[in-house]
Amino acid sequence: MATHRTQESLSPFETARAMSSLEPHAKDASYWASQMAAVSCRRDRDCFMRIYDHYAPRLRLYLRGIGSPEAVAEELAQEALLRLWQRAASYDATRSSLSTWLFRIARNLHIDRLRREPLWVPVDDEPGWPDRDEEGDVTSAESHAEQVDLRRRIERLPAVQARLIRMSYFEAKSHHEIASELAMPLGTVKSSLRRAFIRLQLGVRGQP
Amino acid sequence: MSPRHHLDEATVVSFAAGALSPEMRAVAATHMEGCAQCRESLAQAEHIGGALLGQQQAAPADAARGARLREAMLALLDAESAAEPPVRQEAAPTDPDALPRPLQPYFGRSWRGLRWRWMAPGVHMIRAARGSGDTLILLRIAPGKSMPLHSHQGTELTQILRGAYDDVLGHFGPGDVADLDNEIEHRPVTAPGAPCICVAALDAPLRFPGWLARKLQPLVGL
Repeated sequence: MATHRTQESLSPFETARAMSSLEPHAKDASYWASQMAAVSCRRDRDCFMRIYDHYAPRLRLYLRGIGSPEAVAEELAQEALLRLWQRAASYDATRSSLSTWLFRIARNLHIDRLRREPLWVPVDDEPGWPDRDEEGDVTSAESHAEQVDLRRRIERLPAVQARLIRMSYFEAKSHHEIASELAMPLGTVKSSLRRAFIRLQLGVRGQP
Repeated sequence: MSPRHHLDEATVVSFAAGALSPEMRAVAATHMEGCAQCRESLAQAEHIGGALLGQQQAAPADAARGARLREAMLALLDAESAAEPPVRQEAAPTDPDALPRPLQPYFGRSWRGLRWRWMAPGVHMIRAARGSGDTLILLRIAPGKSMPLHSHQGTELTQILRGAYDDVLGHFGPGDVADLDNEIEHRPVTAPGAPCICVAALDAPLRFPGWLARKLQPLVGL
């Protein structure tokens, strides 16, 4: 391994950076899409377990980061991957990468776990994805290329924007929490996140 | 009719990241139900989450623990292959009396079931039971009414459900959302005709500059 610091001393975001330079193309979105295709067409358990082996530890780490205790993170990561197996037929590689799909399931499971209202609607049923015709005809080749491109853009975010994105996605911190933790005006937090989002939008070409 | 006032991109990012309070999330989800543009932004923000998850390096795991979890997953697959895949329920046909679904955990299922409380002349309110610490309220303001000038110490997210109001930012009608922070000072005036009903999430008390409004503040409890 090229990293000299131990992995525990790296934040998830730093590790993500180290990671992406270590194996840039070995296991990209198209690799996982092909594994997933085998799961949905053939119910291929080996392919599923390859997905499991890759994503289960990442999901557990992600869920702990956004506040799940260890045991809950383990349980929710298992549940997220089981849903992937159950709903494999509805996975559409042209709409989202496998990691986006898993991210969404894990986040929703985490939010549902925190809620106890009697009329709580599982977040899974929330409006979320644009209707197909709204998105246009995105071919899966395009979306794989866009995934690689998105990864590159994340690596190139200015330090402050990268930090706020990390605190949002990996620690589930609100604008208000970020503002008080970093002693930053709320307006600055919001405008930095806005700028980061604009830089990271897919399908927007020619931005640095 | 498509909304003309949308969520701030920073709010969409936090929605995607699961970083909004439940109250803010409920208001933002209500907006997204009727807003294709914000749903598209959400999909973009979720792609960022997916990319971050995919890039994340797995922590060196407790090997024995990891192996047990792996075994458990294989056992689940065995159990699953016997069972039928779950069928997702189709959405029920739209009931005109149904409240937007994201609001139902806080205010019940129907418009008719709402128990409005009088707050001030022409103003009725329902406050959701305390959840995470943020405030979630339904407001019903009589037509042609001017609200006191106020600014915000934190964020106010307001979705218009029925009726309309105007303020310095423009005209807000059904489906529009006002995503405001502490840089905005406004005095909403409801449109003539029908009452304006909106749902608002606040993460800090409002700030009223006028002496009368300040006197009212403790009474209104906002």
